[in-house]
Amino acid sequence: MTTPTRGARADRAGATPYLYLAPAVVLFTLFIAAPIGYTAYLSLRRVQFSGLGLGKKSRTEIFVGLDNYRTAVADGEFWAGWLRVLGYAGLVLALMLGLALVFALLLDSARVRLARFSRIAIFLPYAVPGVVATLLWGFLYLPSLSPIHATLRTFGFENVDLLSPSTVMFSMVNVAIWGGTGFNMLVLYTQLRAIPRDYYEAARIDGAGELAIALRVKVPILAPALVLTTVFSIIATIQVFTEPMTLRPISNAVSSTWSPLMKVYRDAFVTGDLYSAAATSLVIAAISVVPSLLFMRLVRRQAFGEER
Amino acid sequence: MTTKGVRRPLGLAPTAVLLLGALYCLLPVCWVLAASTKTRGELFTTNAFAPGTGLFSNIADLSAYRDGIFWQWMANTALYAGVGALLSTAVSVLAGYALAKFRFFGRNMIFNVLIGGILVPAVVLAVPQYLLLAKAGLANTYWAVLLPSILHPYSIYLARIYASAAIPDALLEAGRIDGAGEHRLLRVVAVPLMLPGMVTIFLFQFVAIWNNFLLPFIMLADDERFPLTVGLYTLLATGANQPALYNLVITGALLSIIPLIALFLTMQRYWRTDLSGGSVKS
Amino acid sequence: MRTKRLRMVMSAMLVGALAAGCSGGGQEETPQETGPVELTFWTWAPNMDKIAAVWNAAHPDIKVTVSKQAGGDEAAAKFLTAAKAGNAPDLVQAEYQMLPSFVAAEAVADIKGEVAGVRDQFSDGIWNLVTLGTDGVYGLPQDSGPMMFYYRTDLFTKYGIAVPKTWDEYAAAARTVHAKDKTVYLGGFSSKDPGWFAGLSQQAGAKWWSITGEAWKVGINDDATKKVADFWGGLAKDGVVDTQAPWTPEWNAALNGGKIMSWASAVWAPGVLSSNAPDGKGKWAIAPLPQWSAGENYSGFWGGSSIAIAEGSKHKKAAAQFASWLNTDAKALDLLIKEAAIYPAAKSGQNLMTTAPEYFANQADFWQQATNIAGTARGFTFGPNVNVAYSAYKDAFDKALQNKSSFTDALGAMHDATVADMKKSGSPLASL
Repeated sequence: MTTPTRGARADRAGATPYLYLAPAVVLFTLFIAAPIGYTAYLSLRRVQFSGLGLGKKSRTEIFVGLDNYRTAVADGEFWAGWLRVLGYAGLVLALMLGLALVFALLLDSARVRLARFSRIAIFLPYAVPGVVATLLWGFLYLPSLSPIHATLRTFGFENVDLLSPSTVMFSMVNVAIWGGTGFNMLVLYTQLRAIPRDYYEAARIDGAGELAIALRVKVPILAPALVLTTVFSIIATIQVFTEPMTLRPISNAVSSTWSPLMKVYRDAFVTGDLYSAAATSLVIAAISVVPSLLFMRLVRRQAFGEER
Repeated sequence: MTTKGVRRPLGLAPTAVLLLGALYCLLPVCWVLAASTKTRGELFTTNAFAPGTGLFSNIADLSAYRDGIFWQWMANTALYAGVGALLSTAVSVLAGYALAKFRFFGRNMIFNVLIGGILVPAVVLAVPQYLLLAKAGLANTYWAVLLPSILHPYSIYLARIYASAAIPDALLEAGRIDGAGEHRLLRVVAVPLMLPGMVTIFLFQFVAIWNNFLLPFIMLADDERFPLTVGLYTLLATGANQPALYNLVITGALLSIIPLIALFLTMQRYWRTDLSGGSVKS
Repeated sequence: MRTKRLRMVMSAMLVGALAAGCSGGGQEETPQETGPVELTFWTWAPNMDKIAAVWNAAHPDIKVTVSKQAGGDEAAAKFLTAAKAGNAPDLVQAEYQMLPSFVAAEAVADIKGEVAGVRDQFSDGIWNLVTLGTDGVYGLPQDSGPMMFYYRTDLFTKYGIAVPKTWDEYAAAARTVHAKDKTVYLGGFSSKDPGWFAGLSQQAGAKWWSITGEAWKVGINDDATKKVADFWGGLAKDGVVDTQAPWTPEWNAALNGGKIMSWASAVWAPGVLSSNAPDGKGKWAIAPLPQWSAGENYSGFWGGSSIAIAEGSKHKKAAAQFASWLNTDAKALDLLIKEAAIYPAAKSGQNLMTTAPEYFANQADFWQQATNIAGTARGFTFGPNVNVAYSAYKDAFDKALQNKSSFTDALGAMHDATVADMKKSGSPLASL
């Protein structure tokens, strides 16, 4: 694939690419790297009171080394949170991407009616902010006024509690699927539309039905896009935060440390312990590096393999 | 609607499945629509999808709330999302073009580091970003929300893909042989070819900033500068002893997504996203 | 090349602006001799901008700008972060239980010298909430939330129960009601409202924090609080009180539909009831909280807030002037009652409450009763990490409700989390 003669351009490019990358690199340094550096600094410190902590100068910030990290890693709740998030992420990934794939294939199939309407409708939840989405699903999960419960009742399911410890995870998964399927469907659908139609003709002439074409021709073509949506979705679900956060006030089954990121939020925004929050968030970042390294490799192979 | 191909009977099943999906996605939106027509009393007493009698009084109440601050929030949000997405698109396209079309020392490293940004959740960044911007004297200004929104790793990723797919190397080479400078090539060749992709990046970034909550929440003190998400939150979290203004929040939420829905409908052909650069191959 | 230059200039400007800011440090404000003093004020009380406008009209030299904030847990964190960055507003609304953490972070100023003149406008109990039992004064009380018992008169008649005088009677009534109709509850236990539980514990005589010499004493699991926790734990275990999360649409519907017949709440409840349970208008009445032993007469506080002045404010004196006006001036108090719908902490303000809330039109002596009850309320000192304790309350009692496990254990968990946090920050703790 590669054409070695192009190598000469590397010298000619000179400062141009660096100039074009400068804004992004500067912004990255200021708004991502510097805050991370500051987080790292905070994670090594904590507040120390002297006396009751009420008088002047009774509060000092001290260096504590890795204490905050030790506390963060030793907290069983933190790992329990990871377990919950893994379960949640597994469900979301399977269902959301499965649905997105089915919808994309259906939209692309020649014989579907009202395709445009369906496509827009399924993509619509993308416009709804996560907080609003959870708020409105919250309304729908509460029994007395909800059409969900009315429907369940007509089928004989009385008193189903969608916010109990055994169900609340599914309620969250539902919000995530509702909000995320459309976007992923769009990614896959865009990919399908890019494939020239006559590509399938051979298969069709061989007498393959739509289903066979979808499974044997289209899905393999989609494979790279599917891998990428999966990795992006993994990163997003690991960071799950809005859904449990917004359902917490209406359910007794969501603790303030339901997900690792909620623990960071609690420490930083509720109990005012920036130092523990900083340490915990760096631990989370370190753990997230695993799927992301995988991601980097995939990106280079799948997407940029043909670039020179 | 595609009417290509030979229809066979039994072909209704795919349509039915898609419509079911559409229904699932639309129902909650319909609920918001119904709920926004309800007065505060009706909201908790009437059937979820039954329309109420209060739409206009809700909109009037919302408009009257603190001398129409809701519309100020709307304007702020449009500013944050519009300007932010514009700058973000420019930065992303420059970076994506450079990464896709030049070979230079450190290319992979820079790309990896930039993309690595998606691994750091907003919750983690918000407080340090605030403390640093405050040091720069920029907290509680429009800049405090705009500047951190510009860099969007995902957009850089998309821009790189679009650039590598949409701009043939031969075209650039030809231009260079003709003696065109790099900036001229960018302007005359690259940008026009990447334009559809740029619109897509703009749209996604616009939605992302429009719906952003945590960053403006922590950055802004003055409610005159709030975007809709933070403004509506003040109606919801009214303090311990005041009832939440649910009917206003719901009406406000509905009004706040209308501009986005309008963008969906009018810019349909740009709502496409190609993650792995397969598009312009044919 | 035009594009190039433009681009260079743009990035240079961006970098320059940020770099200059980074090195410049805090903004220095020279005291302005000319022009009015500008004060910023963070509050979540409704219509505070209108009240500030009245002040601004009468005081051209001190201009107050209100910035309405979201209330709740995050409000305190936002203020503390702003204070840490040197960006705090001049005036801030602070819930009483948050004040100690503001003081500990040196985010609010001691305004003892500025507000000495208004001390006698407030009762000792309320004043103690802004002094934290020290020599300083860290804010001026704005509103308070003495707790009382709200009940549906019509439903009490329907189910044949009397207004409970003691918690034992309350428990018996709760069982009676629920036995007669499984869908109806006398009242509820809230794992989402630590402030509510704190108020009920205050009524029982609890002292969650106290200062002995130079050390804190934490008494979250003291006998009084244990008694309260056990009481509700028993009722919750038997399923005779409602344990759903309050403040949800579902809870509103239950309140509105008469599925919850009473509410141990605070003086600000009329606002909540009238908006969330509109159908109950004219059917609710108030009485003192049930007591722990017959013949006693105590209440506690749920909610309430003060106005504090930021340590970083350049105009503390002017800010104190405004805060004093806002919370003690007759006209301001009248506005607070009418516009912000609050129950003022100042004694003179409480006397202004004459006409019963519209929702309680059937109870003409509503405010007289409320004032009597308010006189029986006792509070306790809040410690420096109430937010930790409150957060632990929610987690521990949520869990206890779910698992139907012991409330005493939940209380123990809350106590331990609070003590552990104080130990970590090196606060001296008195042995228990």
